[in-house]
Amino acid sequence: MELLLAIFGRALAFSVNAPHPIPPSMSLWERMLPPVDISENGHLIDWLFSYTTYLNIFFFTLVCIGLFGFSYLYWYKRHPKAEYTYGNKKMHIIVATVIGVAVFFGVDMNITRMSNNDFMNVFAKWPTAEEDVERVEVLAQQWMWNFRYPGQDGVFNTDDDVLTMNDLRVPVGKKVLFQITSKDVIHSFFIPNARRKVDAIPGRITRMWVKFTKDGKWEIACAEMCGTFHYRMAAKLTTYQPEEYATWLAEAEEKALVENDPERAEMYWGWKWEY
Amino acid sequence: MAFFEQHMHPVPKTFLSKYIFSFDHKVIGKQFLWYGIFFLGIGGIMALMIRWALAFPDQAFPIIGQFMFPETGGIIPPDTYAMLFTMHGTIMIFYAITPILIGAFGNFCIPLMIGARDMVFPLLNMLSFWLAIISGLLLVGSLFTPLGAAAGGWTSYPTLSTLIGSPGTGQTLWALAIFVLGVSSTMGAINYITTIIVLRAPGMGYFDMPLTVWGLWLTAILNAIFLPVLGAGVLLLIFDRVFGTQFFLAGAAATSGAGDPVLFQHVFWIFGHPEVYILILPAWGIVSDLLSFFARKPAFGAKATALSMTAVTVLSTLVYGHHMFTTQMSPLLTQSFMTLTMTISIPSAIFFANWLGTIWRGSIRFDSPMLFSLGVVFVFGLGGLTGLYLATVTTDLYLHDTYFVVGHFHYTMAASVLLGGFAAIYFWMPKMFGVMCNETLAKWHFWLTMLGLNGVFMGMMVVGYAGMHRRIYNPFIYEHLQRLIPINEFITWSAILMGLSQIIFVVNFVHTVFFKKEKATQNPWNVGTLEWTIPSPAPNYNFKEIPVVKCGPHEFSNPNLTTGRDFQYQTEELVKA
Repeated sequence: MELLLAIFGRALAFSVNAPHPIPPSMSLWERMLPPVDISENGHLIDWLFSYTTYLNIFFFTLVCIGLFGFSYLYWYKRHPKAEYTYGNKKMHIIVATVIGVAVFFGVDMNITRMSNNDFMNVFAKWPTAEEDVERVEVLAQQWMWNFRYPGQDGVFNTDDDVLTMNDLRVPVGKKVLFQITSKDVIHSFFIPNARRKVDAIPGRITRMWVKFTKDGKWEIACAEMCGTFHYRMAAKLTTYQPEEYATWLAEAEEKALVENDPERAEMYWGWKWEY
Repeated sequence: MAFFEQHMHPVPKTFLSKYIFSFDHKVIGKQFLWYGIFFLGIGGIMALMIRWALAFPDQAFPIIGQFMFPETGGIIPPDTYAMLFTMHGTIMIFYAITPILIGAFGNFCIPLMIGARDMVFPLLNMLSFWLAIISGLLLVGSLFTPLGAAAGGWTSYPTLSTLIGSPGTGQTLWALAIFVLGVSSTMGAINYITTIIVLRAPGMGYFDMPLTVWGLWLTAILNAIFLPVLGAGVLLLIFDRVFGTQFFLAGAAATSGAGDPVLFQHVFWIFGHPEVYILILPAWGIVSDLLSFFARKPAFGAKATALSMTAVTVLSTLVYGHHMFTTQMSPLLTQSFMTLTMTISIPSAIFFANWLGTIWRGSIRFDSPMLFSLGVVFVFGLGGLTGLYLATVTTDLYLHDTYFVVGHFHYTMAASVLLGGFAAIYFWMPKMFGVMCNETLAKWHFWLTMLGLNGVFMGMMVVGYAGMHRRIYNPFIYEHLQRLIPINEFITWSAILMGLSQIIFVVNFVHTVFFKKEKATQNPWNVGTLEWTIPSPAPNYNFKEIPVVKCGPHEFSNPNLTTGRDFQYQTEELVKA
């Protein structure tokens, strides 16, 4: 496979002087894996994906055995006389029904139940006001991400809010709750490393919560087509250890007090936070 | 209403009445075929340009790039890229697959296979084609407007598709083209449904119809119900764009009142999910028939297959919400749509079992239509199973709007339907044009296409799972996607292979239609359905005597047969021991 990629990809691509980014060298398998999981619950999604994959491989193997096996066995030179049957014997109907029921209960309802449990108990279980969470308001616009932290007073849309552009910094080990909306067209707030996305829709507020577990530098993407420069609508995501985060936030809040211009109307794009 | 006998059309005398404004369903079918193949070519070249930009974003598109984009030295610019994928989707779905499978083979096969002399409304049929031409002109015309064609994706979600995101006339023309095409397809659908109900030959019950006709019939029903919904949606979009209404505007963008952009998504996907089945049902029907024809065996559980397809048709109207999980609708809706989506796999599993049952203990001939049909079973198996990841909401949160989705729906909608369409073309070629395609070229075409398309669509699912999201001009500005450069290059080379192998088809097709001298026999495949009881190509009036149907369409290898054939025509009494 790697060889094939090398032959087709690099040798024939006459890239001589182009500023093409050089792909990091790693094995094909490593390339195919999703990005590092940095969230507490991302593994639920990875696990369900793998589980479904095993079931799919099993059933698709059955299909292939039928398809290729029968094609081989019943080629007309090998098997000149076809059997005359409508497939309406009791046995045939039982087999078809068993396959249908096995797929429905063995695969479908099985993964539906798991997905439903994960969804209702984890991803759609929203943190309440009683919990200590980090709150961030997100405003998407063509083609950038605006982030807003409540600042020293803990209230959103006041003149001490910390505002950043395409630069999200969050702590690990604590739930981060995002409220998201859009200024112009529909965008989608996608954190590949946390396996989650939610649309940013003008006129309504959507939510997402993530508990990060790994510190480092990552990327946020816009996943919904939003115009010509959709592909450039990326933001940086920095996850800090709690102490580092506290240091950064304190600095940013100080800076906001000094630098925010309360007279600038565009600054107040936020909204009153309600859980 | 029961059967009535149509009069015989007089043979058209002038060029205009014979080839252009023809009422004859066979000519209209061929017109749709050429129309579809023309747009398939355009959509295919667009696909190659998209793929080129994804693998080699900083290099000139070969051969035609220099002429098309002189300002950038042949490199596809980002705004053009957005137009390309929008137009690729629109053209392939509405202007290539729909005309070929439904327009061409619906028109051609339905009357011939049910023993009718023409569609029940020939004038409506002709209008349907000419409206499709007008729609095609509107769409192609939109490419030449000052700001270019529509660029909001084939789904054209507002508010991107309103004046906020797309100020150009291109988007309005796009909506208008879709509206006109919707009218055209609805006309066709009404015609198909009525024809099948009232014009079946005497003696032909619904379960005596070939499964091809079943597929086309169910498709026509979905078309008649849901295309008007899309029509209404794009009409509202046109109102928003042209007359300043605010159906789909909200938030800061709305100047007065408040609409809702998500409303359009509901309207779009109420149509859009059945549309997937509109495209695939004819292919399922064709495959169900061809597997039986070439395995020389009655279709296994034909009634169950027909009823499963009907069940899918009904269920397809109840599942559209799985396209909108990330808009964060009520969890109750999310749960319902997830569960309903899953139920579709019961009927799907049943007809899959039936397909395999059909070739089980058959006597299989690997002619090109059979190869393509087996190919459909393979790729639809992959496409159907990968749908599971997108139906369960949690995995969809990650995979939604990534290339995984793109790979999945190309397997179901593009690969299966394309292979089914090619199977149909190779199979009905003798009845349509009176000549047979070259088998060797057809087999080369099959194997190269299979190789190419699996490379492309499997590769897309791989990069999608690895995190590459959709509709991005240059994925490699993201650091975490740079490791996918080699895989993207591989996909592009596979796409080029798939594209080039279609040249084999075009050469074969054009040569066969225009230059081949050797005429096909009346029944080259030894099949018993009604269209093979008449000469090749089918005469102007189809059936001199309206046939009387006495047995089912899949009577093969009956041990009691004494005629020396291994099959029975539908006009013959079923031989019993």
